[in-house]
Amino acid sequence: MHNKQSIAPTLLAISVSLALSGCLQSEQQDPKVTINKNPYPSTYQPLPKQTTLIKNTTVLIGNGERIDNADVLMTDGKISQVGQNLSAAGAVEIDGTGKWLTPGVIDVHSHLGVYPSPSAESHSDGNEMSSPNTSEVWSEHSVWPQDPGFNAARAGGVTTMQILPGSANLFGGRGVTLRNVSSHTMQGMKFPDAPYGLKMACGENPKRVYGSRKVLPSTRMGNMAGYRMAWAEATEYKSAWEKYERDYQAGKNPLAPTRDLELDTLKGVLDGDILIHNHCYKAEEMAMMIDLGKEFNYKSGTFHHAIEGYKIADLLAENGNCAAMWPDWWGFKMEAYDMIHENVAVVNAVKNSCAVVHSDSSSTIQRLNQEAGKVMYRANENGFTLKPAEAIRWITLNAAKSLGIDDKTGSLEVGKNADVVLWNQSPFSVYAQAEQVFIDGAKVYDRFDDKYQAKSDFMLGQAEVPVSLQKGGK
Amino acid sequence: MNKIKLFKASLVALALATVCSVNAESLAITNATIHTVTEQGVLTNATVVIDDGKIIAINPDKIDADVVFDAMGKILTPGLIGSMNSLGLVEVNAVSRTRDASDKKADITFDASLAFNPRSTVVPYTRKGGITSNVTVPRGGESMFKGQTFVTDLSGEFDSVFIKENAVLIDLGAKSKGSRALNLQKLRYKLEDAQKALTKAAEEALDVKTAKKDKKADEKKKDPKELKRDEKIINAILAGDKPLVAYADRATDLLELLKLKAEFNIDLVIAGGADAILITEQIAAAKVPVIFGALDNLPSSFDSIHSSLENTAKLTQAGIKVSLAIDDAHNLYQLRFEAGNAIANGLTKEQALAAVTANVADAFNINAGRIAVGKRADLVLWSADPFELSTKVDKMWINGKEYSTQSRQDELRKRYTTNSDMPRGYTK
Repeated sequence: MHNKQSIAPTLLAISVSLALSGCLQSEQQDPKVTINKNPYPSTYQPLPKQTTLIKNTTVLIGNGERIDNADVLMTDGKISQVGQNLSAAGAVEIDGTGKWLTPGVIDVHSHLGVYPSPSAESHSDGNEMSSPNTSEVWSEHSVWPQDPGFNAARAGGVTTMQILPGSANLFGGRGVTLRNVSSHTMQGMKFPDAPYGLKMACGENPKRVYGSRKVLPSTRMGNMAGYRMAWAEATEYKSAWEKYERDYQAGKNPLAPTRDLELDTLKGVLDGDILIHNHCYKAEEMAMMIDLGKEFNYKSGTFHHAIEGYKIADLLAENGNCAAMWPDWWGFKMEAYDMIHENVAVVNAVKNSCAVVHSDSSSTIQRLNQEAGKVMYRANENGFTLKPAEAIRWITLNAAKSLGIDDKTGSLEVGKNADVVLWNQSPFSVYAQAEQVFIDGAKVYDRFDDKYQAKSDFMLGQAEVPVSLQKGGK
Repeated sequence: MNKIKLFKASLVALALATVCSVNAESLAITNATIHTVTEQGVLTNATVVIDDGKIIAINPDKIDADVVFDAMGKILTPGLIGSMNSLGLVEVNAVSRTRDASDKKADITFDASLAFNPRSTVVPYTRKGGITSNVTVPRGGESMFKGQTFVTDLSGEFDSVFIKENAVLIDLGAKSKGSRALNLQKLRYKLEDAQKALTKAAEEALDVKTAKKDKKADEKKKDPKELKRDEKIINAILAGDKPLVAYADRATDLLELLKLKAEFNIDLVIAGGADAILITEQIAAAKVPVIFGALDNLPSSFDSIHSSLENTAKLTQAGIKVSLAIDDAHNLYQLRFEAGNAIANGLTKEQALAAVTANVADAFNINAGRIAVGKRADLVLWSADPFELSTKVDKMWINGKEYSTQSRQDELRKRYTTNSDMPRGYTK
């Protein structure tokens, strides 16, 4: 091992010198260096599916519309028709009388798989807390697909979620968007063609974690300096690659910039391929993060938690930022002290807003419908007139928009993926239960049919009662 | 403030001399749908009369009260009782100087009620959830005994604490360092040693009484050994005067606790109890109440592999008295929603209401949690079904006085939803 390692740099040096000499001595171009942007591609395949017609139900489309006594037809994994008195030959019919139908629930902020159950040192893989900038790490590389929390979330109607790294670092790494299907590989869950996210974090967490180690940042101004230095470097990196591209296109034989995984991710943001997901609570910090995006010419994306979103609702909408919020968590930190129950509703009330309800929890991800409901009811007690058709957006279409997948899912509009939840009643009741859940038109969960209730490897054989093989054994 | 003082004074007078002339206003709530959480069940179009902080009459023949309030048929329940959280001991978790629930050196004698802050902003916020009182728990320190619980109301008044040193907390089960066995062993030894000492003391006392007047006994009589404070607490547990509330989840830990209860006849309460579902018969037979989290359905540890949303209902149906609790004070207001989810998964509404009122009161010996004569006048009037997300608290009374559910959060909302030409800072 030792020998091999010591040889490697020598080989690299030779190849570099060869490349250099090649450049000087001939016009012939070396093979072009390209970076594979998708080295861990999705292998997700929809589960076995049938044409399904859900009849006579209350439909919340996800885009603000509601249709009563409606039928929804799912064909070839897509929503093919929404209307009344539909019929389809050979379709499996489900009577939706008294029930409600919504798009599949989307959680933009989950740590399922990276902080799984049971909580164990061996599985605590959600935050690479070894440097304030770990843009090079990808949460997908930590996902344990056997986390029983995925199955529990599916029983709560969750069909898609973004798995994010934690918030200790200024740049925590890439987040990945997953289909909530049972799979024994991460790739088997990966949402095809969904953009990556980059987790950034404002405020108390980075300055606490690194300040305690006497490393920048130990203050909020240190946080800002950390982001700016990184973006400045990423801007140079992007220019270097662009110059390489230009020179190569011009027939020269340039040396490719040295590959840097950390800067690859930041460059991905500057290129518009990767979306920012920014853990940020406070109004003044979000306002600065918006300007930071303008300073370095990238979109500041979605603010997560955004406890003080209501203080800058106009600013968020003007700049096209989504805000992903809880209905009521607060008080665990100073930056979470100014919570109001109506936060989501205030952010939502502005034109062109993008209010999202998120969980950041393996427990409340199972009840995002109730989380949205709490906001709606509390807001309506205080001057708002929100309706279920509007509230459902916060956990469906707006969430899809935040993740850059709203062209594929998030609403029951014709042509979109048939990600659907059939609820036993209004999803905004504390008594609501998801009865059937579909992803790409395939049934992935049925509350009344064990056949459609996946179980994690981990839960197999965790018997409640000992199995005695001896007759008469107790 | 004067009025409150007067009110308290009158209570004392009442207690001392059962004098009936008091100045506080009595109140009759009429035309309510009263969920009594007693054998009376639900009383429709009913009246409850409260005076001096207590319920003095239900459906009296003649309504005799200073103030009469028409509930217009709405649901009236006992105020909900929180437990197992640090309400009033922590304002902001990450601000160290607002945290008073734990101390490295805390032991079985730890009385965190001295640090209770009734003016914490968490208190009025929590009233939004219809919570009128709370069993506040310390988080202790290195000792397996985390200290003693105390009971407060949520009035925000400086005399909110109404039971001090109410129950002893012990933390058992999985440990990140060392073995769970050692703490179980230590607990057993503590109880055994204390029991022996008590027996010995009793024998000696008997010796003295039966006038075996040797010199030694005389000396003992003159100079009885003063018990240490921690010994007195263990003795109170052995006497059944103080519940022992044990955090434990795995079935083996729970079974060992049941053994200790059987041997030492202690008033045992299980907190957590994830595996209780595996041994429902034993727990029910031992009449041990369980304080439970209805939403804990994930196998969050190897001690809680069998968690399920249905477990609250299953334990209740097995005859176990289950209390529902939220251990984070800032989320305590959600207790009724937790109960609602338990209903969605098999609990009846009556059982759910008991799980957040009477059952908690019984586990911690609090004279509240039911609408019955003599109970604390902690009452909540709901806009509709108390467990529904769409319902809110219409009115609430704590210790007989009406309190608002407005909190700092409402001030913030108003500031940022009110139009003004001036900066927000001028909107007050």
